[in-house]
Amino acid sequence: MEPTRNSHATLVDLLDRVLDKGLVINADIIISLAGVPLIGVNLRAALAGMETMLEYGLMKEWDARTRARESEQRKKNVEPICIAQIAR
Amino acid sequence: MSLETRRSGKTQATLASEAIVEEEGRYVYCVADAREDMSLGKIGIEGYEVHTIPHKDICAVVHSCPAQPYQSDDQEVVEAWVMTHQKVIDAAWERWSTVLPLSFDTIIRGETEKSAEQNVKDWLKQEYEDIKRRIEKVRGKAEYGVQVFWEPKVIAQSLTSTSPEIKRLDEEIKTKPKGLAYMYRQRLENLMKHEMETKADEYFKDFYGRIRKYTDDVRVEKTKKAEPGLQMIMNLSCLVYRDRYTELGEELEKINRRRGFAVRFTGPWPPYSFVGGA
Repeated sequence: MEPTRNSHATLVDLLDRVLDKGLVINADIIISLAGVPLIGVNLRAALAGMETMLEYGLMKEWDARTRARESEQRKKNVEPICIAQIAR
Repeated sequence: MSLETRRSGKTQATLASEAIVEEEGRYVYCVADAREDMSLGKIGIEGYEVHTIPHKDICAVVHSCPAQPYQSDDQEVVEAWVMTHQKVIDAAWERWSTVLPLSFDTIIRGETEKSAEQNVKDWLKQEYEDIKRRIEKVRGKAEYGVQVFWEPKVIAQSLTSTSPEIKRLDEEIKTKPKGLAYMYRQRLENLMKHEMETKADEYFKDFYGRIRKYTDDVRVEKTKKAEPGLQMIMNLSCLVYRDRYTELGEELEKINRRRGFAVRFTGPWPPYSFVGGA
């Protein structure tokens, strides 16, 4: 299958990345962005199906557990360079 | 939103020269792996001119603006800003092949005795080693989104036929009087929940393993609410060598073809999920 980047269908995927992720600049030289997460939240709420709510609420804990376990494993397997970064 | 509105509410500084420095900022789109000092034209948010600020062999891609965050309650306005943010990063990405994207609305400010431009330069200088390391991590790669969904109904049906315990309970319910049947149904639901989670675990591990092979790195994201009848069981951001995405696509097609499963494959995105953090 081919990946898609059609601008309308993947808007949510784009927002997930553009609003939450990316290279981080130390806070002392960037302007206070207290309002920014709010933009994200409002925008997300307006777009159907954005909130992390799982059907039937059945698998919510499972989802959290899976991600926790994966991140634990990643920590165990980190390369030395990453450990140095965490310690920093 | 006009400049006026964005600045309103800010108290006028007493010294005009100070005010200018303090109130100017540089909206940073990305850092590019290029030794460039140039303008990219008026392609920025609200038509601002985008230019680069160089340091050694890297540069920040920015536009000059007041040191005020872009904020709006109008969804369309924010959407347009976000799309433009992405377009500028795409332009830089295409031109220079390797970029570290920043999130929307990251604005470096000036200080009383230091311009915003200088602050950007100093930041590049100070973080140079770290930035170079991150550039090397994502060089030649792109980010792809992989979301795996299943149809809970189809999965539940197949569990009913394959799990002896569920099968037995399901049949017993039919023979019980109303009150008792209710209790049995509760038991069945609990059991079903448990079995579904076990299944999801199995599939997650299986799919993760297959997908991991074609990726340089993977982030497991929160699952999201899916369209009716579907449930997302896996949401991954994958860092993939540009020439390996077709292989990943083929593997995903295998999952997509299974009964009761669907896959969403998006990208290529600039490597947003692999440039932050430690």
